[in-house]
Amino acid sequence: MVLGTDELAHDDSCGCQEYRDLSRRQFVGAAAGISGMAAAAAVFPEWLPKVVLAETFAGERDVIVSIFQRGGADGLNLCVPFGDPSYYTGRSTIAIPRPDANVAANLKVTALDGYFGFPPGMSPLLPAYAARNLLVMHAAGQTFVSRSHFDAQRFMEVGKPADLNYVSGWLGRHLALVPPMRTTAPLRALGLASGLQKSLVGGPKTLPIPNPASFTIGGAANTIVARQSILSADYTNAPVPLNAAALDALNTIALLQTVNFTGYAPANKAVYPNSSFGRALKSVATLIRADVGIEAAQVDIGGWDTHAAQGGAVGAQATLANDFASSLAAFHADIVATNARVTVVVISEFGRNAKENGSQGTDHGRASTMFAMGQGIAGGRVLSLGTNGLPGWPGLATDQLESKQDLRVTLDYRDVLSEIVQNRLGNTQVAQVFPGWNAKFRGVTR
Amino acid sequence: MGETAQLPKVRPHADEVVPDDAKTRRAFLLGALAGVATAATAATVAPQTAQAQGRRPAVLKRAASQPDLFATGALVNAVVAPAEWSNPVARLVRRATMGMSDAELYSAKAMGYQAWLQSQLDYTRIDNTAVEAEVAALWPQLSQDGDTLYALDQGTMQNALQAQWIYRAILSPRQLHERMVEFWSDHFNIEFSKVGYLKVIDDREVIRKHALGKFSDLLKASTKSPAMLAYLDQTVSRVGAPNQNYARELLELHTVGVDGGYSEEDVAGLSRALTGWTIQGRGVFNFNAALHDWGAKTVMGMTIPAGSPALGAAGVLEAEQIIEMLVAHPKTATYIATKLLKWFVTPDPTASQISAITSVFRATKGDIKLVVRAVLNSGWMASAPLKFKRPFHYLVSAIRASRATVTNTTNMISQLNALGQPLYLWETPDGFPDLFEYWSGNLMPRWQFATTASNLRTGQIIIDTAPYLAGTSDAAIDLVIANFFGGEMDLGTRTALLTFLRAGTFNDTRVRETISLAIASESFQWY
Repeated sequence: MVLGTDELAHDDSCGCQEYRDLSRRQFVGAAAGISGMAAAAAVFPEWLPKVVLAETFAGERDVIVSIFQRGGADGLNLCVPFGDPSYYTGRSTIAIPRPDANVAANLKVTALDGYFGFPPGMSPLLPAYAARNLLVMHAAGQTFVSRSHFDAQRFMEVGKPADLNYVSGWLGRHLALVPPMRTTAPLRALGLASGLQKSLVGGPKTLPIPNPASFTIGGAANTIVARQSILSADYTNAPVPLNAAALDALNTIALLQTVNFTGYAPANKAVYPNSSFGRALKSVATLIRADVGIEAAQVDIGGWDTHAAQGGAVGAQATLANDFASSLAAFHADIVATNARVTVVVISEFGRNAKENGSQGTDHGRASTMFAMGQGIAGGRVLSLGTNGLPGWPGLATDQLESKQDLRVTLDYRDVLSEIVQNRLGNTQVAQVFPGWNAKFRGVTR
Repeated sequence: MGETAQLPKVRPHADEVVPDDAKTRRAFLLGALAGVATAATAATVAPQTAQAQGRRPAVLKRAASQPDLFATGALVNAVVAPAEWSNPVARLVRRATMGMSDAELYSAKAMGYQAWLQSQLDYTRIDNTAVEAEVAALWPQLSQDGDTLYALDQGTMQNALQAQWIYRAILSPRQLHERMVEFWSDHFNIEFSKVGYLKVIDDREVIRKHALGKFSDLLKASTKSPAMLAYLDQTVSRVGAPNQNYARELLELHTVGVDGGYSEEDVAGLSRALTGWTIQGRGVFNFNAALHDWGAKTVMGMTIPAGSPALGAAGVLEAEQIIEMLVAHPKTATYIATKLLKWFVTPDPTASQISAITSVFRATKGDIKLVVRAVLNSGWMASAPLKFKRPFHYLVSAIRASRATVTNTTNMISQLNALGQPLYLWETPDGFPDLFEYWSGNLMPRWQFATTASNLRTGQIIIDTAPYLAGTSDAAIDLVIANFFGGEMDLGTRTALLTFLRAGTFNDTRVRETISLAIASESFQWY
């Protein structure tokens, strides 16, 4: 049983008032540098008082959809450097044939330029690339070396390597540093997950919501307001960040009930795959279309830890790549092609060894691919840098590899994200988003 | 699927332990839960020590410490326990069980802190016949060997595996053992989807068997568990083509930890030493000498000289020696000690706590019982900050507290999936997170579960409201507080629940809604 939005609209017992008060206190306290307010101090970062919020902020900035390929995606088989002969010598069973190979088109690379190309599994993204909305980045990753999934993911999402004192994520800090795009929005960001991804930790009005279409406490309509009211009061004094999560959740109920998830009709007849990733992106698209003030979404796609039986043009990774690419392609047709104010970025914690292992798979490596998509992204090309930092390719010959086994990271993911944060998300405080990193912009945005 | 688990009927909660201050409990029908857990002879309720009460701040709501989520602070949010949590035995029971049932708490108070803890550690002496007989009857396939399991439908088997765990977690009187099963299931995480029936064997022969045994036995069993070897691709590793997946996680996650001081060369050396460790037939470990790399290797300072194919089956000794070294490695002791402290005591163990438990681990050669006993000492329990229940713990604790009858475990599985912790399906080898900051944002599914669980009068989860309706609304609230909070609840929440209950007609529906609010409340999220 779900309560209609009209019934909730005039009722403040859902905790909206407390919520507004809390939010305002936080911002006032933070902006004015007031330190004695317990609530504000507990919720807000200590460094924020030093930040001067732009008073004339335009409010015009992109919604960001951040995607994490968990498990260490083999970028060499997501964007194939067919121009490097070492790619083929190191991958006898999993290499994907050159564009000019004498095999069927669905079994070989489609060239993106004269050096790189998409394998068949990634071909759904060719239209986005052709529309110059999709930028492929190669030899990308984090310069900090870790071959542990969990350390590498953690440091990447936190945005500061090897510092165990940082808990908040880069996206969470970004959100905390800028005023809300819409001041009345009860929810600024969400993770399509059961638990909050590290990227989003620290973000105000940010929740993990695995299924936005089912967001209600349920039960009888005639008592739901009273029950929500009790929960609101009950969690008010809960420890940080539980108190904020509870209030955000209660205030988001009404918001999400205004959104028609089941009846959503994607633009351009886009069809999202019925996979968990496809459904998640469709939910994000629905929220963006509904224009309810969501500024950021974190979506994960797992299964990239391809140690064995990875496959080549067809096989396990190709199937996963196809799910990934088809979902993103639907999102492109539905949202990116129709809305200039959306940016998508895709990262993975590391790539895989240049050479395949004895199990027709690949072990943990270093550099991988990254992707960015949006009308504000300088797409339609593959961006990669040589070891000298100039456009080029670090190479896959043994003596070119890091530790003689891995593609070198010549493009740090923080350069890419910093440029997006500043140029597309309207946040000039990139040094706070990626502490200790002196970002070089690489022409990721237009 | 649609397997139906009719929980064993047990005698009503024993009259002999009913305290004077809760007469309404006399009329309480125990439903399914229960007396299974009250095997201990009931004497008198253990006297509450004034010690703990005296030390606690006289506030009704706990105060959070100042967690700095952003920078330069601790990783964790130590949340001070509420003043009402004054009974030291209740503190222990909250931590050492999957949820504090009224019956369990009375039993524990009667036995006293040390005796109850010791009885839970000596879990094989706790009569579990009724539960195990029911598990065997409901899911007979789970005791089968690999050949039989291999032929069964994977979906049915996955449901059976998930259902038996939920069932045991709710009903087993061996509650501390269940907590350790959960701990090691994460430590040695294996995703069912990748290995299928092999996980059934691993769950039975590795995790459940050794959960309160010796760490060396547990680790060694895991290293030869076909499920683990398949999950981390050890089965496809061979000479000339070693696969590093298992070797890396054996170091990083299972023994010395990510800061254990090993290098990439150590990972490579261990992966080569492990070549040949594979599976034979259906779920049987086998060392295949033909796949083994006989070259010399070095792992964390231990050198394995080059061998010869003539050694044949003796090649298994290479990795076995390394595993022995890892079992005894000081970093392993520290790593496991730290994890156990985080599991039972605090998200942020102090150096002296880690040092103390590391010493116990080393002195007892990794005797898990003795290590856990040391971890759960009353001094640390008394001042332990709150821990946030994970979804599995939350669901099970709600069912245990409510004394609900559970008639459909398939439904319980989907409830747990919706809560965000699908058992045996965490994909990566690190296991489900046990972090407040990870789970704390996802409250809506918990509130939904609370509503669903409380409102079912027939079907999957049935809460009997008759005892709550037997007296006044005040008495009903006292019963809620006794059942769900061990009688320890702050005045504000009590008043809120009572106000809600009184605002409507005092009937079955209203009581159920009140119970749903109790399960949804902030206090019920902690243990």
